[in-house]
Amino acid sequence: MKKLSIHQLAFVIAGLVAGLVFVSEGTNLFAKEKQVVELPLGLEPFKVPADNPLTKAKIELGKQLYFDKRLSSDNTVSCASCHDPNKGWSNDEAFATGVDGQMGGRSAPTIINSAYFPLQFWDGRAKGLEGQALGPIANPIEMNLPIDKAVEKLSEIPGYRKQFKKVFKSDVTADGIAKAIASFERTVLSGDAPYDRFKAGDESALSPAAKRGMDLFFNKAKCSACHKGHSFTDLAFHNIGVGYDKDNPDPGRFAVTNQEGDRGRFKTPPLRDIHTSAPFMHDGSVKTLKEVVEFYNKGGIKNPQLDEEMKPLKLTEEEIADIVIFMKEGLKSKNYPHVDPPELP
Amino acid sequence: MKKIRVITSVFALLAMSTIVQAEPKVETVVEGLSVPCGVAIQPGTGHVFVADSAAGRVVRIVDGKIENVIVDFPIDKYGKGPTYPIGPLGLAFIDEKVLAVGGGGYPDAKDKLRVYNIPATGGDALNADEDDAAALEIPATDKLAGEGNFYGVAFTGDALFVTCNGDDTKGWISRAGVKGAKVGPFMRAIATKELTEVDAPVAITVAPDGSLAVGQMGEISLPGDGLLTFYDPKDGAKLANFETGLSDITGLAYAPKGKLLATDFAWADTSEGGLFQIAAKYTKKKQSIEVTKVTGLDKPTAIAVDAEGNVYVTVIGSGEGASGKLLKISNL
Repeated sequence: MKKLSIHQLAFVIAGLVAGLVFVSEGTNLFAKEKQVVELPLGLEPFKVPADNPLTKAKIELGKQLYFDKRLSSDNTVSCASCHDPNKGWSNDEAFATGVDGQMGGRSAPTIINSAYFPLQFWDGRAKGLEGQALGPIANPIEMNLPIDKAVEKLSEIPGYRKQFKKVFKSDVTADGIAKAIASFERTVLSGDAPYDRFKAGDESALSPAAKRGMDLFFNKAKCSACHKGHSFTDLAFHNIGVGYDKDNPDPGRFAVTNQEGDRGRFKTPPLRDIHTSAPFMHDGSVKTLKEVVEFYNKGGIKNPQLDEEMKPLKLTEEEIADIVIFMKEGLKSKNYPHVDPPELP
Repeated sequence: MKKIRVITSVFALLAMSTIVQAEPKVETVVEGLSVPCGVAIQPGTGHVFVADSAAGRVVRIVDGKIENVIVDFPIDKYGKGPTYPIGPLGLAFIDEKVLAVGGGGYPDAKDKLRVYNIPATGGDALNADEDDAAALEIPATDKLAGEGNFYGVAFTGDALFVTCNGDDTKGWISRAGVKGAKVGPFMRAIATKELTEVDAPVAITVAPDGSLAVGQMGEISLPGDGLLTFYDPKDGAKLANFETGLSDITGLAYAPKGKLLATDFAWADTSEGGLFQIAAKYTKKKQSIEVTKVTGLDKPTAIAVDAEGNVYVTVIGSGEGASGKLLKISNL
């Protein structure tokens, strides 16, 4: 054992007196609850609500509920209809489509890495995945099934009754539905991309173009001002001007907070496996990643609440192409989080 | 060696006393301030200096009265609604006669860290553009945006450390060496956003062990994402990092006996703002912190503590016009 200097020893003694154990280099001060799911390379642990610990049985129940169209009024729409694993956990369309073909005014955000968001929906009106899960079920233009009816409907299915007893030690409840779906959604994780392997020391993980794109992403193009961290999102809300070229632009987070500065602000989406979930932006108005970068390159669309970071970037065509390659290749996970629909009770 | 640096810094935090129990006494020292954003205690005299930001001046409080010390700072604006006019921001004394002032009144890359030889009590106020004052900038480079909105200023004995709000991809703390009367060069030093993955260093102070304690504000649209991070001022190494649950930490200061206090502006819901104590906590082999609200405050912006442990906090307030105040909080 390495000997301690007097100086070091003094601190150790002081720590012991205070009833402390000192951390050593590399100790994760943010160590979170034990995870049931394995985190892909590059991702940080996420928080799980104390009253909704992850269990395999609960995740399995949540998966069934997520894919079950009986949670809609006419048995035609499930969570997976708009957040489809085969379509980047979105739906390939500009807007979410609910029962009777009703269309909302916003796109279906991807479920990938939604575990990290403390506030859900494009405008952050729901707290956590548990706060979000029941919203679309009850929404008249989405699944259109009042929650008490959903509880009634599921209660008539013996397989669900049995699982709720096992998982929650209760009958079918709204709270249980929300917790189970949230638990399943927490397992939809994307990591272990070439970017992560490059960061871990594999110089060959990224192509030359992707490396150039990465450098632009974190510097000249300023993408990392908002798309930062392990999941490439600051989890916050920004106004980049999307929709301000039309009449009556969506007020976004303003509708939740009533703060003028939040007008036109929407959640920063995560970017891992982003190539799978076109079209982009909260209104699905941008079809390709190239068009996304071009939108930023011109500085977005001017409006009074436009984020200060939004300025023309003066990127060349080659630089735009490199950034797109970085997102398409560099952030593409080795194991896309595909989930097949389960057998339903 | 790094292991011990972590230990010592974390100990600086953990050495803090237990959580406040007493009912604090809150008094208004002066009112009629316009977006006050900085406060510092003058060594020797114990006078409280305030950056009366939207009024474009730095003032000192003598016997409960406001006295101009430096005037005519330029004014810019901050925020998208609410929007605040801002001029001088962070304050830090180098010694009894020399005051560093972080600027926020110009666009990024043009804002200045200025250092003034201040007049004695009752003397004529200086102009912000005083010829004798050092005026240091951090311009843009090929890859990096210029810096500005120098909100927090801390003096370690041989350098000024300044929180910056220009390059949102890096979140710089900048450093200006101080040797005798010479201040500078002023250079980017710690890329806090790369080290913490959270935006916007704002509050800064020097911990009892000499490390830098920094309040990372995070996103103003996202509640609860504020960090408390410790850095080694010698090389910028991150020593420890704690999630605080606070939203927008605007001020940090150590009171006697190592008690760490923080002000939280709480942009998303300012009714949640206030003065907080941050104390060490250790459970189940995990080191963490415990954050306790001392008192609610109306948009607190900066904090300083005098030798007797009296806490001075500037608040913007919610009234029309100059609703800002300097508060004195005691009995902690």
